Amino acid sequence: MKARFFFAAALAAALAVAASTASAKPTGSKHALASKITVWLQVDAQSGWPNLVAAANQQFQAKHPGATVDVQYQTWGDHLSKFDATLAGGNTPDVIEMGNTEMTKYMAAGAFANLSSQKGSFPNSKNWLKGLAASGNYNGRTYGVPYYAGSRVVTYRTDLFRKARAKVPTSLGQFTATAKRLKKQNPKRGFSPVYIAGTDWYFAMSFVYDYGGQIAQRKGGKWVGRLESKKARAGLAAYKRFFNAASRASKTGTENRPQPYDVYARGQAASIIGPAWFSCCVGKKYTKATKQFVMPSHAKGKAMPGFLGGSDLAVPAGSNDKSLATDWIRIFTSTASQRGLQAKGNIPNATNLLGNSVNERAAKRSWFVPTAKNWVNVENGNVLRTMLARILTGRASIAEATAWADDNIALTLNQ
Amino acid sequence: MRARRRRSRFVWDAIGVLLFAVLSFPVYWMVASAFKPQEELDGLTPTWFPMHPTLSHFSDAIHRPFFWHGVKNSLIVVSVTVALSMVLAFLAAVALAKFRFTGRKAFIILIIGIQMLPQAGLIIPLYVVLARYHQVNALSGVILTYMTFVLPFSVWMLRGFLLGIPKELEEAAMVDGSTRIGSFVRILLPLVAPGLVATSIFAFITTWNEYIFARILLNDQSKQTATVWLSYFTGTSRNTDWGGLMAGSTLIAIPVVVFFLIVQRKIAFGLTAGAVRG
Amino acid sequence: MTSSEIPGGTAFAAEAALQPRRRRSFTVARVVRGAAPYLLILPVVVTIAAILGYPLYHLARLSFQKYGLFELIARHGTNVGWANYSSVLHDQVFWHVLIRTIVFTVANVALTMGIGTLIALLLTKVSSVVRVLLTAGLVLAWAMPPVVAVQVWLWMTNYENGVLNYALTTLHVGDYYQHDWYATPFSQLSLTTTLIVWGAIPFIVVTVYAGLSQVPPELVEAAEIDGARPWRVFKDLTVPIVKPIFLVLTSLSIIWDFGVFTQPFLLIDQTRINASNELMGIYLFEEGYLKTDFGRGAAISILMLLIVAVLSVFYVRKMVRMGDEAG
Repeated sequence: MKARFFFAAALAAALAVAASTASAKPTGSKHALASKITVWLQVDAQSGWPNLVAAANQQFQAKHPGATVDVQYQTWGDHLSKFDATLAGGNTPDVIEMGNTEMTKYMAAGAFANLSSQKGSFPNSKNWLKGLAASGNYNGRTYGVPYYAGSRVVTYRTDLFRKARAKVPTSLGQFTATAKRLKKQNPKRGFSPVYIAGTDWYFAMSFVYDYGGQIAQRKGGKWVGRLESKKARAGLAAYKRFFNAASRASKTGTENRPQPYDVYARGQAASIIGPAWFSCCVGKKYTKATKQFVMPSHAKGKAMPGFLGGSDLAVPAGSNDKSLATDWIRIFTSTASQRGLQAKGNIPNATNLLGNSVNERAAKRSWFVPTAKNWVNVENGNVLRTMLARILTGRASIAEATAWADDNIALTLNQ
Repeated sequence: MRARRRRSRFVWDAIGVLLFAVLSFPVYWMVASAFKPQEELDGLTPTWFPMHPTLSHFSDAIHRPFFWHGVKNSLIVVSVTVALSMVLAFLAAVALAKFRFTGRKAFIILIIGIQMLPQAGLIIPLYVVLARYHQVNALSGVILTYMTFVLPFSVWMLRGFLLGIPKELEEAAMVDGSTRIGSFVRILLPLVAPGLVATSIFAFITTWNEYIFARILLNDQSKQTATVWLSYFTGTSRNTDWGGLMAGSTLIAIPVVVFFLIVQRKIAFGLTAGAVRG
Repeated sequence: MTSSEIPGGTAFAAEAALQPRRRRSFTVARVVRGAAPYLLILPVVVTIAAILGYPLYHLARLSFQKYGLFELIARHGTNVGWANYSSVLHDQVFWHVLIRTIVFTVANVALTMGIGTLIALLLTKVSSVVRVLLTAGLVLAWAMPPVVAVQVWLWMTNYENGVLNYALTTLHVGDYYQHDWYATPFSQLSLTTTLIVWGAIPFIVVTVYAGLSQVPPELVEAAEIDGARPWRVFKDLTVPIVKPIFLVLTSLSIIWDFGVFTQPFLLIDQTRINASNELMGIYLFEEGYLKTDFGRGAAISILMLLIVAVLSVFYVRKMVRMGDEAG
């Protein structure tokens, strides 16, 4: 008897909780009177420039009285899974921030609304950074609006460089010589003049593009891997030489574990290669003695092409408020907003806004991954990483390793 | 005889303490790191003990947005899930352990089969179902989801405990041979109390630490659970706040420990004398 | 009746004989009580069916469809029959992953159940202070979310300044300066095993100990007074009570360890995962989710379900039969 009563009470309690916590109205695009838009931005905005988001929201609400904006912050690790779930459930956000390498796959699948007709209405659209704008284009149509970019620079210890009587190198050869000198002066075990993780393909591929090669090419409707070409192989050989001279990191290691700036903060590196924001986290001891410069090319006086990372803003095709959504994007990517992002160390989305910081100078010569809808599978399959590990450890010659990689790339991209 | 027992007990105790040190070392490392200032955390040589303990990471963690929301939501979700699941699972386990009825085998297959399913495969279809009933972005949707995963193993475990009760105890406890369900349940309950407690601890911890479904089903940060809140420490593309992450994790672990302390008395882990009690 | 359930031992036979016959018929009468069991299981069945009914049906149907990102957005898949299953079964990687996962599961379950049971027995032998201490340590380990435990593990096994390398080098076990613990698949999976076993032991200990709590001390005393040796007491008294729990725990451990995902994925890290260190749970994630091929992912899920059913059938059957005899 008591058990039955308890059971009934528990059930009633559960129903009460359900009634009180269930959302009052359905989420997303099922209702007709849509005056609320949902925006998905990454947590970088929440911690980095929340004031810019707030300003954009204010402006938006002033322009559209009665409309509200719900900004939901996502993490890079699972925002795509969440997006997939909303696509399946039919309640996608109205604006979504996508990494530039994530765009192609979703554009090819028809996830986003076509913004080509309104391209001219976005601020500075005529001067959008080529690399970033390309990531928002598919089959000649515009689906993504460039949000901001980041390139790779060298963060270095001015005190150690001074001790080695080294100036900012203007060529790869100079940099290598400096690295050798630094190693002699800092013979401690495990110390890297230039800390580079062996399988940091973002950096290694820069060498390929610097020597005139590329990762893959579209020929006659099919993708072909191009790492076997003479130029690409020359670039990889140069990478191997530089790595052996400059880095004591694990040859099979990745660039996220450990984080290069952690190695730097521990005094185990004279310089590191990575995004410009690395300077935030070099540790209290070395903050004053830290500066940045652009990675030099093997050709004197030029910059090595750097990987241009960044984000785009897109409007999912299932949104019920496309005009409101595009207007929000318009406001959020205004010149004033871009200046705010620039002040936080990011690269703005248009060439007319570019300043002279190291980050922005590095972006002048950049490369980007092949715009194939299956490119993400090549990345996730760690093809380039495995190839680099084989080359650096000597388990395969450059010719063998690139041949294997090209086969894999072609197979995956053409699936 | 006495001296021998005392010596052997000393040996057992020594082993026990050694095990405690080894098993809880990672936990110690987490808590100690939460108190270490940033320089110590970044240092080249690890320090065994925080030299200059600081509370800054803890205050950082607490002041991160939605900390208290996360705790509150987790408490609601987990306590409702565990309470309901224990009741329902116990009843079903009684049926399985004490009764013979057609469909019994089918029910067992259902219970076991569900546990064998890789949960990852169910995420998207589950989301679609819940979206249809407006249970997305709602704590009730998460509760229902958790219950469907907690119930099968709870039933399975409680059935195991029920089967372990010696018949004699059952029958000795029946004073008047009453055959109604109510009194039947009332008699079995104290006998299976340790099993119920163990199962509820497991259910509590599993749902408290669950991440994937909570992440996918809850969009508003104000509705998210504590584990999702914790994931924001490592979610950015920038550097991870290790001190904050360790401090946050330590704080999140507290309710679990409290729950355990409350219910553990039924399993005589406490200071009750004697080896094992019924 | 269930003579196998009654612990043999003179004390019990004597007690049983003393009970009035009337009580014996109590359990037999259950069979007649038609509606009762159905009412008892109804809430569980309803809850599970309501939430998982459609997803399970959808999963099965999905395994026969081509369902990528394009189809996800269009909310419509195309039927391809057995193509998904055939593609998975013809994938060499699948078979390597399967064997690797089976070995991994056996190792993990054996270690977890073995160490867990030993510690549970230890708990019965120690003084109450140590018992509280050890249990507290176990619960703290248990309470750590897997995600956080992974971070702590990573930190301890850090290539650069991990405490493990530091300790091993300082204790002169060898030169472990900047030893990369994640260089080989064996090392990666061994570390994963330590993490999983460490996290799983508390559950086993608490549950087995709870089972041991059900052994009535009066019967233990009676048997000891009768002159039964400790081993006999254990065999005839403790084992029958703990056996069903043991079987449950083993079957659950097999199921969970076979499909484990979070710990190996986060510990090894997606950037180092490849065909030489993948486990089934990760294989499913990579093929189904990362490649956004939900049809294939569904086929792999169903295959995993069948495989783990085969692996645990021995224990499950024993458990079911135990219940049969009790009925």
